[in-house]
Amino acid sequence: MSLAVARLSARRGAREVLTGVSFSAHPAQILGVIGPNGAGKTTLFECVAGVLPYARGEVTGAERFYVPDAIRPWPDQSVRWTLDLFGAADDALLGELDLLRLLRAPVGTLSKGEAKRLGLALGLAVPRPVLLLDEPFDGLDLRQTRQVMDVLRRDAASGRTLVLSIHQLSDAARVCDRFLLLDRGRSVAEGTLAELGGNLEEAFLALT
Amino acid sequence: MRSRDLVRKELAELFAARSFWLLLLIAGLLAGQSFISAVNAYAEASNPRALAQGLSPLEGILTPTLGAYDLAITLLFPFVAIRLIAAEKSSDALKLMLQWPVRLGAQIAAKAVALLVAWTISLIPFAVALALWKSYGGALHAPEVVNVLAGYTLRFLLTAALAMAAAAVMPGAANAAIVVLGFTIGTWALDFIAAGHGGIVQTLASYTPAAMLRGFERGLFRADVAIVLIVFSLLGFAIAAIWLHLGRSVRARLVRTAIAAGAAVVIATIATRIDTSFDVSENHRNSFAAADAQALSRIAEPLHVTIFLAAEDPRMNDFASNVLVKLRRSVSRLRVDYPFAGRTGLFDNDDRYGEIHYRLGAKSAMSRSTTEEIVLETIYGLAGIAPPRREESSYAGHPLQTRPAGAAWIFYALWPALVVTAFSALRNRRTG
Repeated sequence: MSLAVARLSARRGAREVLTGVSFSAHPAQILGVIGPNGAGKTTLFECVAGVLPYARGEVTGAERFYVPDAIRPWPDQSVRWTLDLFGAADDALLGELDLLRLLRAPVGTLSKGEAKRLGLALGLAVPRPVLLLDEPFDGLDLRQTRQVMDVLRRDAASGRTLVLSIHQLSDAARVCDRFLLLDRGRSVAEGTLAELGGNLEEAFLALT
Repeated sequence: MRSRDLVRKELAELFAARSFWLLLLIAGLLAGQSFISAVNAYAEASNPRALAQGLSPLEGILTPTLGAYDLAITLLFPFVAIRLIAAEKSSDALKLMLQWPVRLGAQIAAKAVALLVAWTISLIPFAVALALWKSYGGALHAPEVVNVLAGYTLRFLLTAALAMAAAAVMPGAANAAIVVLGFTIGTWALDFIAAGHGGIVQTLASYTPAAMLRGFERGLFRADVAIVLIVFSLLGFAIAAIWLHLGRSVRARLVRTAIAAGAAVVIATIATRIDTSFDVSENHRNSFAAADAQALSRIAEPLHVTIFLAAEDPRMNDFASNVLVKLRRSVSRLRVDYPFAGRTGLFDNDDRYGEIHYRLGAKSAMSRSTTEEIVLETIYGLAGIAPPRREESSYAGHPLQTRPAGAAWIFYALWPALVVTAFSALRNRRTG
C-alpha cells in the first residue's frame, strides 16, 4: 500500500466538508475518486497533499504530489520555464501532451485544455511514488482525453500510484482500476468496478 | 532545489512583473526631479551673500535626492513585494511550492533577496545623481553616503517584510496593500502625535520609519534603531513564512505568530537600551565639540530637563535637533519631560511657556534659550564645571554654484528609454 487515509475529517470555516473518510491506494494502480459536485473531492486531495489542514484522522504512506484543478502557475513565465522548475520533463512526454509547440508561450495565455496538459506534465515530471490529479480530463477534447489516459496508464504501469478526481463517470470507468465514491464528505463505497456491481453509473446513483 | 535556484526563480518572477519596471521608471523620474531641484537650490544657497558657509551636501543633495526613494518605498515597492506572494497564492502556484522539498523559510529568504536586488537596481538613478554631482565638482563624504544608504535600505527591508507578511496573511493583493498603507499612515500619525511628547509615545515614535530615517539623514547611526528595524523586518519575513503554510491550522499559525512577535518585542526592547551611536557626519552636527563632550561625560548625576514649549513651536524643533540630540549622546543619565506637548502654544497664557528648566542633583536653573552655547553654560553652572575652551569648527562647508547640466536628459529621456528597452528585451527573451 502506498497511501492510506484513515477517518479523515476536515472543515472549511464552520462547515464540515469531510467526515471520517478512509481509503487506501496501491502501487501501479489508478484510484478514481468520484462524487457529485461539493462531495469534498478537492478538499480530500488538498488534505492528503498537506496543503490544507484537517481536523482529525491520519494520512500515511509514500511521498506524494498533488496537481490542483484549473491551475495556471506563474502566468507571466513561459511553459518551458515552468517545466524546468519541476525537473526536466522529457520531450516524448511533452510531445504526447502536445506541449512542444507551446514551450515559449506564457502560461497565462494558455487555453483551459493547454493549461490542464501543462499541469499533467508538471505532475508527471515530479518523481514521487504517489500522484494526485484533480480533474485531469476537464477541459480536454475526446482525442486529448484518450491520449492523456494512455499516458496515465503507462505511468501507473511503471509502479506509481495515481489518485484521480473525476466527475465524468465514463472517463473514470475507462481509466481507473479502483474507485472511491464520495458523497457529502463521506466515503460511501470503495472497490473495483466488479466489486461495485459492474456498473459505475448505477452504483453512483444508488449510493449518492 | 538549491538556494541559488530559488533566488533565480524569484528574480525571474520579479523581472516578469510590470509593476517592477513601472517602479524603476517612476523612481528614476522622481530621483531626477529631486536631484535637479536640489542642485538648483544648493547653487542658490551657495551664493556668498546667502548662507554659503557650512553648506553640507548631505543635507543639500543626498537627503533631497533620496527623498524620492522614501516616496517609492512607501507607495510603490509594497506592490512589487505583495505581488511576489499574492500572485502565487491566487494562481495556486503556492500549493505546488508547498510540496517542494524546500522549507518555506528558504523560499521567503529567496524572495527577500530578490527584493533586495530590485532595491539595488532602483538605486541606479541615485548612483547616477551622485556621479553627476561629482562631475559638477561637488563634494561627497563617503561615510555619510554609506550611512544614509544603510538607513534607506533598512527602511526598505522593513517595508518589504511588512508587505510580504500582509500578502501572506490577507486574502487578495488589494487587502494586503490596504494593510501596508494603513501601517504607513499609522506610523505617520504616531510620528505627528509624538512630536514633543515624552514617555512611551515618544520612545515608540522614535522607531517609526520616518523618525529612523531622520537620524540617518543627519549622519547619525544608532545601533538600537538599526537592530530594532532588522528585528521587525525578520519578524515580517517570519510571519510570511508562517502564514503561507496552508497545511497548518489557523490556530497553529496564530500561536507561531504570537511566539515570533513576542520574541521580536523582547529583543527589540533590549535593543532600545543600547545607546551606542556614531556621528558620521562630516560637520559632526550630532556631537558637541570634543572638549564639551568630555566635560559632559564627567557629570555623574542625572540631568533632568523640562521643556515648557508646544510641539509645533519652532524653538522646540531647534532645541530638539540642535541640542537634545547631542545631549543624548554625551550625558549618560538624561531625562527629558514635555509638559506642554499637545498644546498649540499660540494662545498659551501659562507664565512658564517658553522656559526650559534644568535640574542636576539638588540644583536647578531656568533658561529660555535654545542655543547650544547657553544651554551648555547653564549645565556647566549646575555641575560646577568650568566651561572648557572650544576650538572653532574646522568645517567650512562645500558651497557650489552650478547648474544640473545634462541631468534632465539623463533622468527624463535616457532612463525611461533604458527601462522600456530592458523590459521589452527581457520579455522577448522569455517568451518571444
